[in-house]
Amino acid sequence: MAKILLVDDDADLLSGQKAFLTKKGFTVETAGSIADGLAKATQFAPDLVVADLMMEHYDSGFVFCKKVRELPGLSEVPILMQTAAPRKVGFTFDTTTAGNREWMKVDEVLTKPVPLEDLLGKIEQYLSRKGKNA
Amino acid sequence: MPESPDPREADFERARRVLVIDDEEGMREAIRRVLEKKGFRARTAADGETALAMLAAEPFDIALVDLKLPGVDGFQVTEHISRTLGNRTVTVIVSALATVEAAVEVTRHGAFDFLVKPFTPDDLMEVMERASKQWRLLRDRETYLSEASSERTLSHQMINSMREGVVVLNIMGKPALMNPRAEFFLGRKWNDGLTMADLFGGTPVMDAASAVLANPEKGDSRMVHVPQGGMMLQVGVTPLQLNGDIGGAVVILTDVTEAWEAEQDKNRFVSMVAHELKSPLAAILNFINVILAGTYEGEPEKVEEALRRCKIRGEALLELIQDLLEINRRDAGKQEKSIEELDLRKVLAEQLDFHRGQAERRGISVVFDAAGPPCPVQADRGDLDRIFVNLISNGIKYNREGGRLEIGISETPSGWEVKVADTGFGMTPVEMKSLFEEFYRVKNARTSGIAGTGLGLATVKRVLAGYNGRIDVRSVPEEGTVFTVTLPRHR
Repeated sequence: MAKILLVDDDADLLSGQKAFLTKKGFTVETAGSIADGLAKATQFAPDLVVADLMMEHYDSGFVFCKKVRELPGLSEVPILMQTAAPRKVGFTFDTTTAGNREWMKVDEVLTKPVPLEDLLGKIEQYLSRKGKNA
Repeated sequence: MPESPDPREADFERARRVLVIDDEEGMREAIRRVLEKKGFRARTAADGETALAMLAAEPFDIALVDLKLPGVDGFQVTEHISRTLGNRTVTVIVSALATVEAAVEVTRHGAFDFLVKPFTPDDLMEVMERASKQWRLLRDRETYLSEASSERTLSHQMINSMREGVVVLNIMGKPALMNPRAEFFLGRKWNDGLTMADLFGGTPVMDAASAVLANPEKGDSRMVHVPQGGMMLQVGVTPLQLNGDIGGAVVILTDVTEAWEAEQDKNRFVSMVAHELKSPLAAILNFINVILAGTYEGEPEKVEEALRRCKIRGEALLELIQDLLEINRRDAGKQEKSIEELDLRKVLAEQLDFHRGQAERRGISVVFDAAGPPCPVQADRGDLDRIFVNLISNGIKYNREGGRLEIGISETPSGWEVKVADTGFGMTPVEMKSLFEEFYRVKNARTSGIAGTGLGLATVKRVLAGYNGRIDVRSVPEEGTVFTVTLPRHR
């Protein structure tokens, strides 16, 4: 059973996505802030992380992802980012090159609202790549 | 065809003042009479010394000089005139020496023309006409020269006083001129050895200037960020025309920092708006999709809870859209303001009345002296409502259950000070840092369930700025927050 950590400061989004993914057979943990997210990532050792971009601060999601990858055992964990921010203002979310993925510590950026089937599809795609598909 | 009168024919521009120098009184007087009859003002001198003194004392347009004078002779007078008054006084020699050699000799001494004795009045007038024409030519030339020189000075000073930086590049791309503003913008003092690379190396201006010099058919314009002082310059390069040929390029540097920053702010605002509009929508659509996917099958209470949250988020989204439209109306100046004398105490009492239900539901007791003396203020009612609706509803929303909301008014030398104090969660200094910025909301476990647009306090600050008022905040975590509004009595 693959373990997924959802981090978002929008409690409604967390509760909906958690219910959906749980129903699909995943073990889901949620966190509403960066500090909470890091604590959960340590205890829960997720197989995949879905994180929001703009939490306490406009780019705090990137900081969060970098810190997650620095945790023991999580340097390779797939991270999907979901954000309602437009793609081109201030920073760009181009994850098509390995250099950018490495710099952002994010495998893919999904634009909110993310359809559930897309979210599920992406999660399964990254988990199977990791060889831990549920 | 009627001709408009030549302004140079105006009286003061005609040769009128004539000095007649002759030692024979009969000749002097004869000439004077003829000239005055023709409208000239003639004065006379009987010898060279007197003539020189008169020439030094007052201006003459034409001098009729007899060659054979006692003492200082006609040659010397002519020479003196040509040397010192050459540009304003035309000399005509009057003499009985009617030889070609004599004529050549006097013109060599600076005389303009030659009149041979004896002569008729018509002969005299013919010479006078030629001399007048010459005087006018001299006069025009002088005017032209002084105009040209003042024009050069003027354009020079104009270029040096411009707010734009100007750099002129010659055809080889070498800087040929640079005004003080350009020196300031580029951080370089002008010197002869400057090259284009010294000024623009490593910036897009290099390419723009090279392009214009290579293909002078069209200009070029680039935006360049100057690191010194964080200036943003708009740099325009246009071909320089010299008598129809390409003589180089003119580089105009304009400081567009302010407009650029405003543009950046606007972009940031638009991206924040997009983010803030999409976030609640994402939550709503997510719930709907979760329900449609059958996630909550057999759990109707979960469906109901999801729908209840959808309603709250949908209402918050609507509120945000209304706030945005309001901001837009105010920015576009479409908002009609009617400034009138209002009683601040009454306005606050009405606002508190309006929020009573909301406060009661949370068990919050409101403390306000509604019966106190009136507090007159010149303001728009809508503006006052916007200020206090936000502060009062925050004081209720972010308060603890069963807390207290206290509003007090006190008089200051210039107006009123309103304190809105709650017994809520309070804020840490870090949380307060961006409190008055648009879309900023304190995000922590306690605030996550509270709906808000992040525009309330930003709006309060903007509205107050229109009254030269201000808002300050003091807060202690777990104890509460006090907002202090300072509002001048007169706008």
